[in-house]
Amino acid sequence: MNTRKYLTLTRAGMIEALQFKGAIFSIIIGNLVYLIMIYFLWKAIFASVDTTTVNGMTFEDTMIYLVLASALFYFMEMYLVWEMGRDIQSGKIILDIIKPMKYPIFKFFQLSGNFIMFFFITFLPTFIVVYIVTYGAIHLDYNILFFLVSVLLGLLINYFIDFFIGTICLYTESIWGINIMKEVIVLLLSGATIPIVFFPEPLKTVVYYLPFQAIYNSPLRLLIDYSMPFSERIEILGIQLFWLIIMILVSGSFWKISLKRITINGG
Amino acid sequence: MEKIISLKNVSKEFKVLNRREGLRGSFMDLFSRDYKIINAVNNISMEIEQGEIVGYLGPNGAGKSTTIKMMTGVLEPTSGDIIIDGRIPYKDRNKYAQNIGVVFGQRTQLWWALPAIESFKILKDMYQVKDKDYKDMMDLFSSTVDLDKLLHKPVRQMSLGQRTLSDILAAFLHNPKIVFLDEPTIGLDVAMKSKIRELIKTLNKEKNTTIILTTHDMGDVDALCRRIVIIDKGTILYDNDIEKIKSIFGNYRTLKVRLGKTSEELNEEAIKKEVEDMELKLKEVYPKAQTLHVSDVDEWINILVNEDEVEMIDVLNFIQRQRKIYDVRLEEISTESVIRKIYEGGLE
Amino acid sequence: MQKRGLLFYFNIYRKILAQDLKSKMSYRADFIISTIGMIFTNISGFISFWIIFKNFPSIKGWGYYEMLFLYGFSLIALTPVQCFFDNNWNLRNHVYSGDFIKYCFRPINIFFYYMSEVFDIKGLGQFVFGSLVLGYAWNNINLGISITIIIKLIISLITASLFMIAIMNLAASTCFWLLNSGYIMVMVFRFKDYAKYPATIFNSGFKFIFTFIIPIAFIAYYPSLVFLRPDDIPVLTWLSPLIGILFFYISYLVWMKGAKSYSGTGS
Repeated sequence: MNTRKYLTLTRAGMIEALQFKGAIFSIIIGNLVYLIMIYFLWKAIFASVDTTTVNGMTFEDTMIYLVLASALFYFMEMYLVWEMGRDIQSGKIILDIIKPMKYPIFKFFQLSGNFIMFFFITFLPTFIVVYIVTYGAIHLDYNILFFLVSVLLGLLINYFIDFFIGTICLYTESIWGINIMKEVIVLLLSGATIPIVFFPEPLKTVVYYLPFQAIYNSPLRLLIDYSMPFSERIEILGIQLFWLIIMILVSGSFWKISLKRITINGG
Repeated sequence: MEKIISLKNVSKEFKVLNRREGLRGSFMDLFSRDYKIINAVNNISMEIEQGEIVGYLGPNGAGKSTTIKMMTGVLEPTSGDIIIDGRIPYKDRNKYAQNIGVVFGQRTQLWWALPAIESFKILKDMYQVKDKDYKDMMDLFSSTVDLDKLLHKPVRQMSLGQRTLSDILAAFLHNPKIVFLDEPTIGLDVAMKSKIRELIKTLNKEKNTTIILTTHDMGDVDALCRRIVIIDKGTILYDNDIEKIKSIFGNYRTLKVRLGKTSEELNEEAIKKEVEDMELKLKEVYPKAQTLHVSDVDEWINILVNEDEVEMIDVLNFIQRQRKIYDVRLEEISTESVIRKIYEGGLE
Repeated sequence: MQKRGLLFYFNIYRKILAQDLKSKMSYRADFIISTIGMIFTNISGFISFWIIFKNFPSIKGWGYYEMLFLYGFSLIALTPVQCFFDNNWNLRNHVYSGDFIKYCFRPINIFFYYMSEVFDIKGLGQFVFGSLVLGYAWNNINLGISITIIIKLIISLITASLFMIAIMNLAASTCFWLLNSGYIMVMVFRFKDYAKYPATIFNSGFKFIFTFIIPIAFIAYYPSLVFLRPDDIPVLTWLSPLIGILFFYISYLVWMKGAKSYSGTGS
């Protein structure tokens, strides 16, 4: 495989992301304001109960979880559904399909520059701040390795879920409806807005059997829960890998079938 | 005649960020305050009379769009005065808008999801067109284009040609004094182009509407404009009658002859020799014809003749006496090549 | 020529709306998917809310039904911005692609013309959902029904919606000056999720910010005090209709200034 042509796309994406000064500053500020809000909200929530831990999580744990989840969200969210939907409606997608690489791969590398930029712009600074502020709460040893692998897997799962949803846009013009449904489901069921341990029983079990928790919940648990036994860590990664393979197979074949539709009907 | 549009020493400057190259450059741009000034339009003046159709031409990036945006009131000039129909366009845009119509080729201004007729009705209310005037205008429209086919289709389902047609009608609907047409025939097929030109011509004649037309298609210019204004790098290169500009380049025509039947007879070497030979001989016989020029294109020999110097028929007779001619053609200098000559600096 | 007064604008809006609804009905699939998407959003919002209260019975002295009141109130207050001002979301694309120029040539108010183009019917679903929640909470708090209280409710709902409209106008208008300012809208739109919590959860500094700088506290908290804490209504609540109108007017002026400074990209 000639990696050069893929890395060129990554580089172009990074340059493109940097063209928008305003966007970068507003993301940083927006993230900050959001963090302040959830800080006060959860502080008030925890202040209303007598115990310090709820469902095994202290206020500090919850904060670390939510702050990092928000930071992960910013760098994993790629607006792929929007982009695919728009490209499909304008017919621009044809130009990308005839490129000499597979469309899902092309799109991934096109977005990869963004991932890298936003990893450094949003995730890393947030992480450092959280680490310093809650000094001692996050243990940094080999779990960071698990965490990074898990983030990458989560990112890929998220990408292929998005890709699947984006493909639906070939069949309907309702990009908004499709996208909002996906967003809402992913945000809630992945544990990005409320840690999954807070979910009441039947819902919690259901959520653990769905692929969404493998996006945000898995890497965050690997990072925060440092007392987790090694075997459980491997298990989490295994489940992520399982979902990734499933998602690749599902989105891949859905795309292939749908592509025939374009080539036969002419879009 | 009343001057409806008058531009006096109009200039427009833009401030743009100096962008750097590469990944590192992009990083540095994040904190950069390094701007440069671009003179999009530089000290231009012109006057246009009511009812004229003026072709506003220039290569890409010449400043055409900027001028049009200033004339429509979207942009405020950095310096200079624009007075159109007694108003300053960018001041009090709402009132000014009542008397202009604008069409951008490929960018519809109608409601995307609505049938054209519904858009027209909304526009009628918006511009407060009286019922009778609206009816008269619709009658005029239907006498020039096949309205029934057009009006009841949602804009989004129309072909580009139909959309442009509807957009032009919509721009004339409130009987504005001036209509700006920005590349109205771009991307259209030949039949549609001529239909649209016909429509513009009719509307201009019936309503005495002043029309400013920007285009890259010289077919539009030939069909519609008597007067053209050419702009390049922000300054006006030419502003006058289109026929006059052709005469600036002399009374040129090209005579094309073919001196053989088969490809063997017309091999390159033979023709090259013929070309040299012929130019020498012609200049010998007609010493006044100093701008006469012989060249070859494919299997043809082209003789560019300035008819002020020598009659075309004499040249043809002369050649015929020397050689057997199998085929002959005569070409006018086209608007296309005139404009190209100007872009390339032919007026300097 | 007649002067273009309020009646003129009302008539135009009515006609555009009627036509728009007619054409929307012909894209039924799109309509249904968007409506389902909207329902999803509301249900997911409600589930998050419910999960938190499953774990914590009250927040800073605000009980379950009182919080539900705030929640329902905020949903209704957010309906106008969704229904009538949704075209703000497309502003960035119009400006970026240069299509915005087409709004500049009409002899009517450009803000009105631009907003009139889109009526978002799915906001009505949110209205219904919010009304149900509010009604349920209303009933359980035993607020009773009288003409005065209904008038108070209507005035405070209108006031609250003015704030959200103004916030979105300001967020959208940033695109006249900044490239790719979509992030700002996404960010600000996310703030509204926190409008449904009582402002007392914040410390005084941030309470000030969310009252005077990003005034989301006016979307549900201040107006709700009229009903939930009738003995202790702050001056700000009484002033909020005035502040709302003023804030809306400022946002309108900023939007118009942006539109005026717009020069159109591309040639």
